Order: sequence, then C-alpha cells, then structure tokens
Amino acid sequence: MLPNSSQVRGWIMTSNRPSLPTPGSTGSDLSSSTSSNNSDNNQIPNLHSLQNSSSQLSIKSNSWRASVNFGSKGVSVADSEGFSISRREINDDDARLVYVNDPLKTNETFEFCGNSIRTGKYSVFTFLPRNLFEQFHRVAYMYFLIIAILNQLPQLAVFGRGASILPLASVLFVTAVKDAYEDWRRHKADKIENNRLSSVLVNDRFQHKRSKDIQVGEIVKVSADETIPCDIVVLSTSDPTGVAYVQTINLDGESNLKTRYAKQETLSKVPEKDVISGLIKCEKPNRNIYGFQANMEVDGKRVSLGPSNIILRGCVIKNTDWVVGVVVYAGRETKAMLNNSGAPSKRSRLETHMNREIILLSFFLVTLCIIVSACAGFWLKRHQDELDIMPFYRRKDYSKEQVENYNYYGLGMEIFFSFLMSVIVFQIMIPISLYISMELVRVGQAYFMIRDDKMFDAASNTKFQCRALNINEDLGQIKYVFSDKTGTLTENKMEFQFASISGVDYSGEKIEFYGEQGAYNIQVDGQVWRPKMKVQVDSKLLKLSKTRNDTKSSKEIYDFFLALAACNTIVPIVVNTSNPNEKLIDYQGESPDEQALVYAAAAYGFMLIERTSGHIVIDIQGERQRFNVLGMHEFDSDRKRMSVILGYPDSTVKVFVKGADTTMFKVIDESLNLSVVKSTENHLHSYSSIGLRTLVVGMRALSIAEFDTWQTSYEIASTALMGRAGLLRKVAINIENNLSLLGASAIEDRLQKGVPEAIESLRKAGIKVWVLTGDKQETAISIGYSSKLLTSKMMQIIINNNSKMSCKKSLEDALITSRKLINVTRASEDDESSVALIIDGTSLVYILDSELEEQLFELASKCAVVLCCRVAPLQKAGIVALIKNRTDDMTLAIGDGANDVSMIQMADVGVGISGQEGRQAVMASDFAMGQFRFLVPLMLVHGHWNYQRMAYMILYNFYRNALFVFILFWYVLYTGFTLTTSITEWSSVLYSVIYTAIPTIVVGILDKDLSRKSLMTYPQLYGSGQRKESYNAKLFWVTMVDTLWQSVVVFFIPLLAFWESDIDSSSLGDLWTLAVVFIVNIHLAMDVIRWTWISHASIWGSIIATCICVIVIDAIPALPGYWAIFNLASSGLFWICLLGILIASMIPRFIVKMFMQHCKPCDRQIAREAEKFQNAMEITRNGEIEMNLPHR
Amino acid sequence: MDHKNSKKPTYSRFSQQELPAWKPILTPGWAIASFITIGTLFIPIGLLALSASDNVVEISDRYDEVCVPDDYSSKAESYIQNPDVKKTCIRTIKVPKKLVAPIFVYYQLENFYQNHRRYVKSRSNKQLRDPKAEDDTHDCFPKSKTKDGKPIVPCGLIAWSLFNDTYKLSTRGKEISINKKGIAWKSDRKAKFGSNVYPKNFQKEGLIGGATLDEQIPLSEQEDLIVWMRTAALPKFRKLYGKIETDIEAHDSIKVEIENNYNTYKFGGRKKLVLSTTTWIGGKNDFVGMAYIGVGGICLFMGINFILLYVFRPRRLGDPSYLSWNRHPIA
Repeated sequence: MLPNSSQVRGWIMTSNRPSLPTPGSTGSDLSSSTSSNNSDNNQIPNLHSLQNSSSQLSIKSNSWRASVNFGSKGVSVADSEGFSISRREINDDDARLVYVNDPLKTNETFEFCGNSIRTGKYSVFTFLPRNLFEQFHRVAYMYFLIIAILNQLPQLAVFGRGASILPLASVLFVTAVKDAYEDWRRHKADKIENNRLSSVLVNDRFQHKRSKDIQVGEIVKVSADETIPCDIVVLSTSDPTGVAYVQTINLDGESNLKTRYAKQETLSKVPEKDVISGLIKCEKPNRNIYGFQANMEVDGKRVSLGPSNIILRGCVIKNTDWVVGVVVYAGRETKAMLNNSGAPSKRSRLETHMNREIILLSFFLVTLCIIVSACAGFWLKRHQDELDIMPFYRRKDYSKEQVENYNYYGLGMEIFFSFLMSVIVFQIMIPISLYISMELVRVGQAYFMIRDDKMFDAASNTKFQCRALNINEDLGQIKYVFSDKTGTLTENKMEFQFASISGVDYSGEKIEFYGEQGAYNIQVDGQVWRPKMKVQVDSKLLKLSKTRNDTKSSKEIYDFFLALAACNTIVPIVVNTSNPNEKLIDYQGESPDEQALVYAAAAYGFMLIERTSGHIVIDIQGERQRFNVLGMHEFDSDRKRMSVILGYPDSTVKVFVKGADTTMFKVIDESLNLSVVKSTENHLHSYSSIGLRTLVVGMRALSIAEFDTWQTSYEIASTALMGRAGLLRKVAINIENNLSLLGASAIEDRLQKGVPEAIESLRKAGIKVWVLTGDKQETAISIGYSSKLLTSKMMQIIINNNSKMSCKKSLEDALITSRKLINVTRASEDDESSVALIIDGTSLVYILDSELEEQLFELASKCAVVLCCRVAPLQKAGIVALIKNRTDDMTLAIGDGANDVSMIQMADVGVGISGQEGRQAVMASDFAMGQFRFLVPLMLVHGHWNYQRMAYMILYNFYRNALFVFILFWYVLYTGFTLTTSITEWSSVLYSVIYTAIPTIVVGILDKDLSRKSLMTYPQLYGSGQRKESYNAKLFWVTMVDTLWQSVVVFFIPLLAFWESDIDSSSLGDLWTLAVVFIVNIHLAMDVIRWTWISHASIWGSIIATCICVIVIDAIPALPGYWAIFNLASSGLFWICLLGILIASMIPRFIVKMFMQHCKPCDRQIAREAEKFQNAMEITRNGEIEMNLPHR
Repeated sequence: MDHKNSKKPTYSRFSQQELPAWKPILTPGWAIASFITIGTLFIPIGLLALSASDNVVEISDRYDEVCVPDDYSSKAESYIQNPDVKKTCIRTIKVPKKLVAPIFVYYQLENFYQNHRRYVKSRSNKQLRDPKAEDDTHDCFPKSKTKDGKPIVPCGLIAWSLFNDTYKLSTRGKEISINKKGIAWKSDRKAKFGSNVYPKNFQKEGLIGGATLDEQIPLSEQEDLIVWMRTAALPKFRKLYGKIETDIEAHDSIKVEIENNYNTYKFGGRKKLVLSTTTWIGGKNDFVGMAYIGVGGICLFMGINFILLYVFRPRRLGDPSYLSWNRHPIA
C-alpha cells in the first residue's frame, strides 16, 4: 500500500537511499511498523506485510522524519496530512480529552499525571524492599537465598547463621550500593529538572511555575533557547505564519532544526487577551516520537493535528522568540520519558554455551548429593542397632523420664535431610558467583573499549560507546558483517563535485578555497558573511558564473544555480564568530545533499541568506534579490522530486524542479533540446559509475494563465478538508511537466578513512562482509570497488529481476556458475578470484520468505562478497535473518541510520555509527562508534581479548569451584557421610568471596594473550574465536578431569601423610584450605600471559590474604580450630605436604601443556612466541597492512 | 577542534592496556629445566623422609579383643558394661629397637567417628572457657542438663565420651613413669579451657559415657579432656596419652597394665596402645617419602623425554610457517 503522506524532507537523490523511516508519514504502514520495531522485536511479521506490498520503491523512499515545511500563506501541508489521519477517527475510548486552558476540567474526569518526573527508582523508604525485590528477580540470587533459607532449618544447619548468610549478604550489599549510587544520581537530575521554572498562563497572565507543577490542559509559553517542559500542541508562535524551529538533539540526537506549526485557527490568538478555549482529543500516551494524531475543536471548528503540531519535552526552541502551546502530555507520559528505556538485552553465545555446561555441573552436584545421601542411608541402616548409645551418635536421649529419639526422624527423612545438607555443603559446584564476576569483568572490558584512544573519532568528537554490557565476548566470534553503505562506509558528508549544465560537463580542475580571501563572501552592514563550509569549485564554471551577460549559456548557469539555491528546504542561520566583523552562514536542513547543493551555489556566488515561509533572499554575485515563494511541492516518494514556484522581482513566475533522474526525465520536454538531454544522461551515467549521487534540475516559466490555474487549484488543495495530500500531489504533477532541462549535479559521499584497509583486514580474519544499501546498483558497485570489497578478478553474479520465476531461474544459473567457478579455483589454488553476488531489493522481494531463500543462502555462502542494493530497511533485517537462522555463525550489523535499526536489532551484535544521520541506529545498537574502521580494533583486538578472557574465566571458575567441592566430597566419605567439613565454615564461605575471587576477575579484565600489534598485523588470529578454540565441550571435560586429579592430590596426600596420627580435624582442614587456595592461584598464575603489577598483586595478594584469614580464624578462641595453624606450621610434615601437593597436582597439566605447545602449537601460541622473540621482521615480510598500529 | 571540549579519552598506559608486563613463555629450555630441577630436588627429599620415617620406632598393640575375658568372648558388651567385672588386663610388648626419649604414648581408636556431625557439634566452647557461661549448653544435646535442670560442665557428647582406659608401663619390674603434663596444646590450656571453670554434674546420672573428672581441678588442667576434645580428623586416630622421658632399650619387654574401661565393642571400634618416637616428619610414615620419590622420578623421566623430543623434533619458536594459514593456504 502506498503511504498516503506527501510530507517528507526536501529532495530525493537519484541514488535514492532508503531514507529514514520517520515521522512525516504518520498514516503509512511503514512508519507504524518500523516505529514499533523500536519497542518490540517482531520485525518478521512486519517483513511479510512489507514484502507482499506492491510498491517496494515507495517504501524505500518513504521518509519518516519530521517535516520541514514551507507552505505558503501559512497553510501548511501538514494540515493535509493531519487531515488524512483524522479519517482514521480516534476512538473515544482510546482518546485523551484536553480542555485547552482549563486544567481543572481536563483533570477532573481523567487522572492524568502531573509534570513531575521520577527517573529514580527508589525513595529512602522504598529502597530496601524494592531493591531487594528487584535483586531477587535474578536466578543467581534466588539460588543463594534458597540455600541460605535451607541452612536456617535446624535439621539442616550445616553452617552457622553468619557464615551461611555472608555470601548472599555480600552480593546483595555490593549490588545495593551500586544501585543506590545510580539512583542518587538520577534523583539529583530529577530534582533539577522538576524545579526548572516555566511560564504558565494563570488567570490570563503568564506566571512562573515550577516544571513539576504544570498540569495537562495548561497553556505554557516557551522562549527562544528554552527547553520544552512537557509535550505541547503549538497554538501560536512569534512568527506571524505560526512557524517554530526546534532542535531535537535531546530527543533523537539530530542537531539540525526542525519546524513545527501552529494551526491557522489559533495562531492569531494572544493568550493574555483572547479567550482560548477548545477541546483537543488526542491519542493515549505512546512512545512513538515521530507520530501524533489528534484533533482540536476550536471556535466550533474541528481541525486535525499531526506530528508537526506538537513539540515534545526536551526539545529546544531556536530562531523563534516564543511559542505558546497547550500541554497534552506531562511528566512520565511524555514521549521522551516513555522512550527512556535501555537497549534490548541480548545474551552472548559464550554465556549460552556456559549455561549448557552449568546444567552439566548441576548434574554433577545432584550425583554427588545422591551418592552421599545413599551412603548415609546405608551407614545408618548398617548401624541401626548401635545408634542408640553409640558415643558419636547417641540417638536415644536418656536425660528425660521418657526415653526418646533425639534429632532422628527415621531413616527416610535422614536420607532426605542428608541430601539437602549435601546440596548446602556442595552449593558452590554451581558457580553462581561466576555470573557476578562476569558482570564485573564486562564492566572492566567495556571500560577499556571506551577508553581506547584508537577508537576515538576526533572528527565527530565521539567516544566508543558500550551500550549493551553482556555481549562483549561475542565480538570475538563474528563470522558475518552486514554493513550499511551511506554514512557507514562513507562519511555521509556530501560534497558537491561536478555539474553538468546544459549538456556541458564541468568536472575540470578544482580550486579549493581556504583562508580568508578566497572563499565567496558578501558584505552586510559592513560585516563579512561567508558560508560555514568551504567547497571546491571548478575554475571554469566559477568564471562563467561570475560573468553576467545575456548569452544562453550564462543564463542557463544562472538558472541552474538559482535552482540549487532556491529549490530546497534549507534554513540559513547566521552564526557569530570570534571576529565581530565576520559572520558565518550555517545552512540547516534535514538532508545533507541539500546542504551540499546550497553550499555549492553559495560558493559560485548564489548565496541564500534568508528564508521565511513567504520569501527567500538570495545574494547573487553581490546583488541581493528577493523572490517570493509562491508555492512549494514537497518531496514525496512517488514523484521523487520537489518543486518550488518562485515569483521574480519582475513578477515573472517560474517553477523549479529537482529530483531523481528516473522521474525527472519523464517530465522533461526532450523535444526542446534532445542533444542536451542525451549528453546529460551520459554525464549522469559516468557520475554514478564513480560512485556519485546525482540529481537532475529542471525549470519552466509559467504564463500568467498557467500560474492562475495552478494557484487556484493549489489554494483549493491546501484548504481541502478531505484528501489534501492526494490533491496536492495532483496539483504538483500538473505543474511539474514540460520542463526544460537545466542540468545535473553530482555529489560525492566520500568513503570514510581507512575503509578499504578495514575491509581487507576483516576479510583476512575470515569474516564475510556484506554490504546492504539503498543506493543504486552502479553506485553500490563503484563503492564496492573503491572500498576493495570487489576486485577486478572477482566474477560478479548480478541478480536483477522482476518476477519470481525469473528470480528462480537466475538463482539456479548463478548456483551452477558459482559451483563451476569454485571447482576451478580449488583446482588452480588461486585464492584471488572468487565470486561476488550483487542482488537488488526487487529481486529480494521475491526471494525472501519464499522457497527460494534456501537457494539464495546456498549461493550467498559460496560468494566471497555479497552486495545488496536498493533494499528496504526490513529487507536488511531479512537478509541478516537469512544467515542467522541457517547457520551457527555469529552476525554483526553495522549502520548509522534509522533504516538500519531493524538490521541492527536482528543481528547478534549491532553496531551503530554515531554520525550524521541522527541517533536512532545508535539507540538500537549494542555498541556505537564514530567510524567504520574502528570495527577492526573493536573485533580483532577487543573482541579477541574479550572472548579469550571470558572463555578462560568461565572454565577457570568451573575448575575452581568444582575442585573445592570435590575436596569436601572426599572428606565426607570419611565422616560416616555426615557432611562434616574439616575446612572451617568461614573458610568455605570466604573461598569464593576472598580467597580466589579477585585474581580471576583481574585476569578476566586485564590479561592479554597477544599484543594489539600482533592481532592487527595477523587478522587471521581472529579465527580462534570463530572456531571456539578457547571454550568448547572438549575443553570443559579436560578441565573437569584435571580438576578431579587435582582434588585427589590435594585431599589424599595429607590424608595418607597424616594417616594414623594424632592430627585434629581443624589442622587437617587448615592444610586443605591452604593447599587448595595455593593450587587454584598457582594454576591461574601458570595461565597468565602478561604479568602486570596488578596481576602480581592480585594473585600473590590473594594467597597472602588467605594466609592472613586462616590465621585470624584460628586466633579466635571461640572456634574449635583455635591455634591449629600455628601448631601445624611448626611441623615439618605440613610443609612437605604443601610442596608435594603443589607439584604433584600441576604435573599432568604441565606435561600436557608442554606437549601440546611443542607438537600442536596453535596460532596464538606461535604469534606469542614470535612476539616474545622479536620475529616481528618475519611477520611484516608476509605483506600485510599497516593500520592503526599502536604508536608506542 | 577545541581542545577543551574534546572527549578524547585521556591517555594512560593503564587505559590503553599497555602497562609494562612480564611475558614469560614456557620455552622447552624452561620446561626441561623445571622438570630436572623438581626431579633432583624431590628425590633427595623423598629419601630423607624415608630414612627419617625409618628411624622412627613405633610399637603398637591392639588390646580391645584380647582383653575380653574368655568367658565373655561372645558378649563383650556385657563385659564392659558390667561394673563388677575387673577390667585390668596385662599385655607384654617386645621392643624391637631402642626407643629414645621422648617416647610418646598414644591410644589409637579405629572406627570411631570423632568427626561425625552430631558429635562434633555437641559441645559448648563458651562454657569451657567462661564460668559465667555454664548455662550455655544449647548445642550440647543430649548431654546438656541433668534431669533436674542443672547444667553439666563440660557438656556435650564429646566430653561425655571421654576416653577412660589407663595404662601402667613397667620394664624389668620397674615402673616406667608416664608424664601426663603438657600433653595438650598450650594454646588450648591457656585460652580455650578456663582455669576457673570446674567440672559440675559431670557423668553423674544416666548413661555413663566414659571418664569422670575431678571436680577440684579446673578444666585447664584436665589435659586428657583437652586432648580428647580436640576432635580427630579421621575415624582412625591417635590421641596422646603421655610422654615417657627415659629411653627404653632394644629387646626389652614392656609389661602393660591396662584398665580396659572404654566401650568400643558396641560399634566395632578397635583400641590400640602405641609407643612411638618422633622425628622432623612426625611419626612413622613411608608414604611421604615414596610420594616424593615417585613425583621426582616422573619429573626426571619427563625431563629426559622432552630433551629427546626437542632433539628429534625441534621446532623454532615463533616460526610463522607453523601458522595455520601458512600451512594450509585458504582456497
């Protein structure tokens, strides 16, 4: 279905990138579906509806952005759009009624919330219960809690009260402190926000009121540069036509100005004098910041309101003295607040695999518990008759008159109790603390990623952002990268490059204007005004544009630049500089392409200096001219062009049109000058083949009769109550015809720095890079070449079809060709030539979600490169899903625009480029950064490190906890299966809190298996993550076997050494405690690769801390183990045992490690050796890139 | 760009993960060296330990079964529970080697779970230390209070089951004096058992578990109790009975007069009397020495193996030709 809106940003470029789905088109399916993507993740159903829809192109070009609109006579096109919405009547049940300037009545029927906001979660009183409640939502904490509760039952009390609660308490405490701190900061921000003063109409006078006291229905006045306190519907503004300019940077991060309008019916009212009353019926609060529908009854008339009539909380008024509006949503019901939610949470693959192993560990746990409880049962059964007076059991209590069983509940219950008790004793078999350690480690890793100065973009002054905190390690396992083109591979900084004017190509020499003298400037009241951006100009064209005579070519050049300067929606804003005599003109607008064209026109002497809704002022070669803007036909996705009707000072009227070549050539009268049209077409082709974005400009002079006809129909259309958008479109189509061709422009969207090198690195790392773009095929291919994605040796398969049958056929053909080619390649061992697949969006419509998908997947997986052009946003997600659903490989999507949001959310890892196109991609992403090339350090360096660190940490934690449990288990076998621990309960508890906790976290954050330099020079090293080398089921089992061996050594060496001796339980327990802590720390030490002072401090510190703790525990006379460690340490056998345990437990590990290192060295091992022994010379000889090498 | 507004992260070696670091690599040299070092270190230690253990003279004599009179042989329990039967039992032990003072006299119990959960918990550390805390008996069940509600000091199963066999040793007709002072840890006597805490209501009623205590002597001087209450780690354990401070010559025979009071017959526990000298590794124990020799041997063996491996299959460290993508070029 067609979007029924006409309202979009200025022009469309021929390259026609799928521009941002955003608000203007409120009524369209796309905007609603895509906006809902922000909140929920069900793109797939949307995808279906999209692909079944007939008009692919309309979806692509349909823009979502807030509109810039310069309707003449204050009749904004937005009205028509708003009207089209009102056809979908707002149901009374779903509506909120706001009585303008009558907050009492408004709030009497419905309880709307006030304007005070509370982002803080807790108050002083609710903190404890709420925070605890939230913390216990996590499974890990529940486990702790259940174990602690079990332990409180007298029959099961394994540990004392204090010891059993300590682990839970310490975890809760740390988290609570963190939460409290964060909340305190939020409260502080809230307080500032709530106490900000705003001007509110009370008793016909504007008075200052605190922001938190504003109510729905009140009228507020906001002055220039002030922030809007709540969502308001604009009633009037300082501009007589009711225009207000707002900056939405706080809302969506876009820095350019957007326009909002007051309704004609209200804009003339002065709140202090006129009685303003009315009823606004609007939708319930929702989080779509680009949509709003409502209608307003004022003076008995019903007018509709759309997104261009509402200003949202957080926006800043610019270039407008004041705005008066009525509050419709306040406080937490404002759209800004409703959007205050974090990124969707994802779970890393490593964690998913880890959970699988944790299930295994719980099987181990249950097995151990069953063994213990079964043995306990047998033991009790066998000693059934002896239990009554057995000195160490004494089942019968004879102290009372009646002899009764003491603490004995029958065999069955005893078995059950010993099962539960063994769960308590062996609880750390399931490494719950691992989840907390992982969180800490990820915070540390994120810190390093954010602080990495190789990922800081100086150009846009943006740091790397880590938005998702739980998928750091996924960055080390990526197999597919899906990249957007514009703004991601390219800078999205449009630069005017070439022009073709009347069939003459001006793409000759360039002079760049730098410095004070060169650039074009004008004198205004003794001040120098110059454009903010400097543009390279063609010297020949510059000369021609300056000479004013009546030759035909001079006139055509004049018209061409006039069209560039006038036919747009750019607002010039004069900015002060440090020099009082110099001002800069900043061209603000939605489309970077338009900005580039206006700057270009300015550089050639056609400087736009003023724009209001009724006229524009252009300084043409030093001479100021004022043109009336009689009408403007906004860009829409069907016409793919926009036009402006200009009234010249000499009262001639001309229509200027600019738009995409496909639609422009249809409305150009070719008979006027066929050769010019032909040569322009040639120029366009050559421009787009070098990757430039092209636009065609045309013009026609209107006769008075024509103008009158147009004006009448335009007026009728603009004020029509029904179907305004459609009528306006018809009017536009009627006037935009028989144009004479003025020329074409070519704008370059330059490739970002380092992109070819980055792509090369990624490809070497075994990552497949796919580019998904809305651009034309030629542009996409040329960018493909310049970014080294495509090489001349590659065989290109292009699929470009219009029906399902033809798609099927070309897919089959392509498969056959690619198979053949790959066989040939395999035979010749030439790794250079490979297959590239280029496919367009139209074909994808037929392929995705049909049985052809499988074939596409097969074909695509054979291709080294896949380029998808002219794809719609949801198709991008569809392509990601194509890979994600069929393989186990990890996917990463990178993009910068709103059109990439669905793809970013679909991929395992979403990366947003925080660049020119607003922040929607960033908001949806897991990581955000300034430049595409940072992907290389991000994945190859940080991703690799994160993966290795996290993988090692998980295995180590399994080992560490299982070792301790096994030792406890062995001892239980010698206590009549009664779950006594000779290790003191405090040591058991402190084991995972103090004795061994810190080194693993430190190593998880800090250890580096390879230097940044090696990882960058050898991208292939990334493969270890893709192959899951550091964490897999085999490694898990090997670790467990090693754990078992070590536990046997730790337990049985002391046992046999002190067999038949007078050793007491506490002393032996201390020996085991020390031995196990030494071992796990030494084990870690053996695996640490880079010993910084922090690793030294944490590992040796932990050992020392353990010794201190053991000594302190043994210095408490109230505990049974009093002074045991001192007695123990005075015996030689203790030291001998300790040394023997250390060596004997490490030997198998050491042997296997040495053997593997020597006979089957992994790549990381070799690279590490090379690093150490400075074989760097040999590494670099193999010819690879020099990129982002650390400068020290 | 304005330098002040730049969000560029401030450089530090820490934040760039470039802290100076020691990067040890386990080279073949290091590996061989450590194997050989461990081997050469462990074997001598093992030999020393073995010889030390060899020098220890240990004599043990199991008497629980033989001390049951023949007429009670099938009903040992009724023998031990019968207060009217004389419990004295005479044993003669041959001394194979000279015992050099100090000679430690131990009693050894087997199959006695002093580490049983119910047993271990049944005590009150507070009560042992502090006369004011004599009512702190809540953990001592079932031996916490007398029937009329008076607290038992020392309370609990552990104290209740205090070992009460006694030994009198004599050789060549002369009694060997056994010093029972200083057999408990000094720390326990000082801090764990109060010098002003006296036994009360102990073994007065109900089932008698073992020894009685002299109510005139404070707990801190009841060394047998202190030793007993330091519960053993394993179900087979020794406890120090006393020390003999004179040498006993080889081939002497020692006459032991045992008061066989302690009931282990109920649960099949065994009792032994052990005389042992001691060295730096404690009592007689060959395991440690053997283990050290074993570990040392394995290390030496592996060291030699690795030498051979490096000689016959050398690999240059950091040689890029071993990298996987150099071995199998990507097709």
